[in-house]
Amino acid sequence: MRLTCRREELAATLGSAARATSAKSTIQILSHVLITANDGQAEIAATDMELSIRVPLKADITESGAVALPRIAGDIVRSMPEGDVVLEHRQNEGVLSLSAGRSRFSLNCLQASDFPELPAGDDDALTIEASALVAAIDVVARAASRDETRPVLTGALLRVGPDGLTMVATDSYRLAVRETGLEQAPSELSEAIIPARALTEVARLSTASSAESLEVAITESQAVFRVDGTRVTARLIDGQFPDYRQLVPDEFEHDVVFDRAELSAVLARIGVLAQRNSPVRMAFEEGQVTISTVSDQVGVGEESLPVLFSGEPLEIGFNVEYLRAGVESCTGDELRIGLISPLRPGLLRGDDDSFRYLLMPIRLNA
Amino acid sequence: MEARPTVLHADLDAFYASVEQLLDPRLRGRPVAVGGGVVLAASYEAKRVGVSSAMAGWRAKELCPDLVFVKGHFSEYQRLSKQVMSILGDYTPAVEQVSIDEAFLDIAGSRRLFGEPDEIATAIRERVQGEAGLPISIGAASTKHLAKIASQVAKPDGLVVVPPDREREFLDPLPVRLVWGVGPATQARLEARGVTTIGELAKESPERLAALLGGGAATKLRGLANNDDWRRVRSRGRARSVGAQSALGRTTPTPELLAEVLGHLADRVATRLRAKGRAGRTVTVRVRFTGMRSITRSITVRDPVSATLTLREISEALATQALADHPRERTITLLAISVSNVTELPESQLELPAPGGDPNRAGSPTAVARLEVDRSMDAVRTRFGRAAVGYAAVALSERGAVPDEFRELAERDV
Repeated sequence: MRLTCRREELAATLGSAARATSAKSTIQILSHVLITANDGQAEIAATDMELSIRVPLKADITESGAVALPRIAGDIVRSMPEGDVVLEHRQNEGVLSLSAGRSRFSLNCLQASDFPELPAGDDDALTIEASALVAAIDVVARAASRDETRPVLTGALLRVGPDGLTMVATDSYRLAVRETGLEQAPSELSEAIIPARALTEVARLSTASSAESLEVAITESQAVFRVDGTRVTARLIDGQFPDYRQLVPDEFEHDVVFDRAELSAVLARIGVLAQRNSPVRMAFEEGQVTISTVSDQVGVGEESLPVLFSGEPLEIGFNVEYLRAGVESCTGDELRIGLISPLRPGLLRGDDDSFRYLLMPIRLNA
Repeated sequence: MEARPTVLHADLDAFYASVEQLLDPRLRGRPVAVGGGVVLAASYEAKRVGVSSAMAGWRAKELCPDLVFVKGHFSEYQRLSKQVMSILGDYTPAVEQVSIDEAFLDIAGSRRLFGEPDEIATAIRERVQGEAGLPISIGAASTKHLAKIASQVAKPDGLVVVPPDREREFLDPLPVRLVWGVGPATQARLEARGVTTIGELAKESPERLAALLGGGAATKLRGLANNDDWRRVRSRGRARSVGAQSALGRTTPTPELLAEVLGHLADRVATRLRAKGRAGRTVTVRVRFTGMRSITRSITVRDPVSATLTLREISEALATQALADHPRERTITLLAISVSNVTELPESQLELPAPGGDPNRAGSPTAVARLEVDRSMDAVRTRFGRAAVGYAAVALSERGAVPDEFRELAERDV
């Protein structure tokens, strides 16, 4: 194999694909990226067996072939002198040479034939607006769990149908729901639990490209996203996703309106002090809320805001990072927090109901 | 070695009975027993004619036909105990409360403020009598063991100070049963060999004593008889573990019995933990078989436990495991639960009721619901008494003649 391409093009492509490699796996080849050059088309791909990313590479191919090279190749290319990079690999040799200007590297590589077979990813697909999907991923995927003991919660539920697009994720402490209409809503409903990590990659690739739409194909076992020729394929997560409509209470005792920017600033200040286990306390009383935190080691911080609140005083505790994530995910100048009692969830909403963020409190000791 | 008798042992005389006589003047001067089926405590008037605690009610009545039985006023015991302990605390911060009615005090640092040991002891006795209305006996000596013996000698309502240069003179003629750790069985064995006084015990050859009582016990008792006691008075910090046990007689450990007894014990232990705003991660269950052989099983869980039902489930699993490991043991005589690794009840991040959650996590909907039920129950009990509400399996059974309030006082973390 021998090909020549621009340094920036190669670095970006290697970087995009490398995000699907696995650093933790005991299978060595999963920490490598596969370069193939055939029929005048080049591609860089990687997989950790759950997620695979295949990115086309614009290159001038002078000899076909394929080889798997270590992920670190991306870092090397990025630091090479500007201009063209030449990649060369002689069949049956264990090294690949990378050269640009007067710089030259020989990298140990693995045989392409040992690389896992990649899903084709050319299933029939729906076309949806990239902006709608990316907006949903940006605010929902972060609420997914990282706890592998509850696999269902490490994914987000994606539902695309006549009502538009719905995405839901929960780590059991909070739940984020985004519902948006689509300009061309499909007539049939498709639904799947997709690993949050795969969705994050889709959003990243989609944001980097200028494409206005992307293609989504959901099959029995996998979801394929195609953006600008790049294919992201994710294995679907089996199981029953929690019914978010049951988890979100229908009614709240209080619906307190905040200036979103102001609350965000207060939480940023208080958050400096609040450690992972010291909750931020919100003490609501007639006409105001006092937001405070106590850090055993460092000290105490508090700030009061005037709010429209009436009735029995209510004090509720939240994890400050979860709360901030919710406040920042909502849109608009206004933020509403629906509350019931200190042990029931609070519901955050911005200027419309398209995004809802349900957050369980931290039980406070008196 | 401290040259002054700076360790005091203060012991309220016939505490429960004295409280009853304090509350009801008609009982004063008369033989009184707290209890009914079983004597839980007896006044000096009753003790004089041979009535003792743990004696069957009919037997006590036989010995003392005038005996008046009263039901206990448990909250009063607690209140008066607190009052007395706080008086003791006025004389030194080093107060080691060992039960509801007795405490050790180290007054080595109090001399300049309050005077010599006999002056301090006299002042304490006057204040306890004057402010709480109760008789208290005090022993003062250079060690805890000797101070405790002195307070027993001082009873009722007396003071004995043992000057350091007269310790042997004081100890030698006293009967061996006053030595800590000498119960009726050991006393009988010693007396059979002609050892009746502490002086004789102190002089006994270590070999002969070891042959009689076993090596460990022999060394310990001989040491105490020689007044070797290096234990210090420690004012306790917060309890590091909370436990409760139930003696069962000889019983077949059916699942129903385990559920009932462990349910009862879990209720007591968890209630006490919650009362202090605490929870523990390590649960230990002890099962005693016939012949005093006992085994323990313990587990350390991720999140601290303070809910009654959770503690009960964990305890039942441990006890079931312990019994399964000893299939040849057919009868058990005691079950005990203890919770250690105790911390403040954590401020837990609560979880949404999503499927697949672990109910033992502190923030799970199950754990939250259990704790809320427990707290409501605690509130009802505080207001209307312990018997007002309980978990069905436990509340509906009537185990033992000793009321729970009495156990609570004995187990209370002081």
